[in-house]
Amino acid sequence: MTEAEAISLFKCLADKSRLQILKSLAIEDMYVERLAERLDLTASTVSFHLKKLSEAGAVTAYKNQYYMVYSLNREIFQTSILEILQQESDEAQKQAQRDADYRQRVIDAFFEYGKLKSIPAQRKKERIILEVIAEAFDFDRTYSEREVNLIIADFHDDFCTIRRDMISEGLLDRNGMEYWRIKN
Amino acid sequence: MNKQQQKFALYLDEQITACRKRGEQLAADNRMDERNFEKIRENVYEIFKTILSAAERACEGDKTAERQFFLQRTEQIPMNWLASHEKAGQHGDVKKMHIERIKLDTVREIKDMYMQIWEETT
Repeated sequence: MTEAEAISLFKCLADKSRLQILKSLAIEDMYVERLAERLDLTASTVSFHLKKLSEAGAVTAYKNQYYMVYSLNREIFQTSILEILQQESDEAQKQAQRDADYRQRVIDAFFEYGKLKSIPAQRKKERIILEVIAEAFDFDRTYSEREVNLIIADFHDDFCTIRRDMISEGLLDRNGMEYWRIKN
Repeated sequence: MNKQQQKFALYLDEQITACRKRGEQLAADNRMDERNFEKIRENVYEIFKTILSAAERACEGDKTAERQFFLQRTEQIPMNWLASHEKAGQHGDVKKMHIERIKLDTVREIKDMYMQIWEETT
């Protein structure tokens, strides 16, 4: 179910009359006049609601002799709300682009010709610059503390602070005097 | 305002009040589309309340002219709604058909009541 389809369904369900129609159809398939009588609505009003429910994929219709009979689309109601929430959002790509743009702005602001101008005070920004520095480390190899300090010193003189922060941010790990880059 | 107009204006006001009351009840009952249908009915009554005043102003006390003026509008105004209803029917647009049907039914009811009041009071 796409995000648009989920919104359409939720909007459609947020109406007591439509919910009553669905409850009736959950018991058995029914035609318009039967629903109208059962729910004390005009046939025209029931048709209006059924059209909306049909557009939202909540009901289907089939012809039985002279009548159009409506039935609950059980498949759509077997989808859990969690599944809908876990669906990738149409917005996801835009959000990812906004995140990438923000990241680039932070990098541009704090780095000049590959050197870190200052350590950001905001943790979110510091995390970004630490991730950039972490890229100077290879995976699957260990570094001595001296090697770590030299690599970080290429970016900023305060290599002690940065080294400690990279560990606390889970970008590097250490065991005694050996350091390695963590795969996130 | 003559006797017929007064009685008819009262009828329109009562209908408007009834629509509002039903609309509030429907909204409280989370039946928003049906609340909107009541709003549509209310609007139609409001339109003809305005026409009733316009008829009075335009015809300056000529009761027959006022009646003609009013009844003419009950024919003219729904013409677009009727056309819209037919077009919706051709395209199987049940939702639009329902809305136009509400307007047409309300006008028919207004016209019938106008005629009834006119006959009762003459």
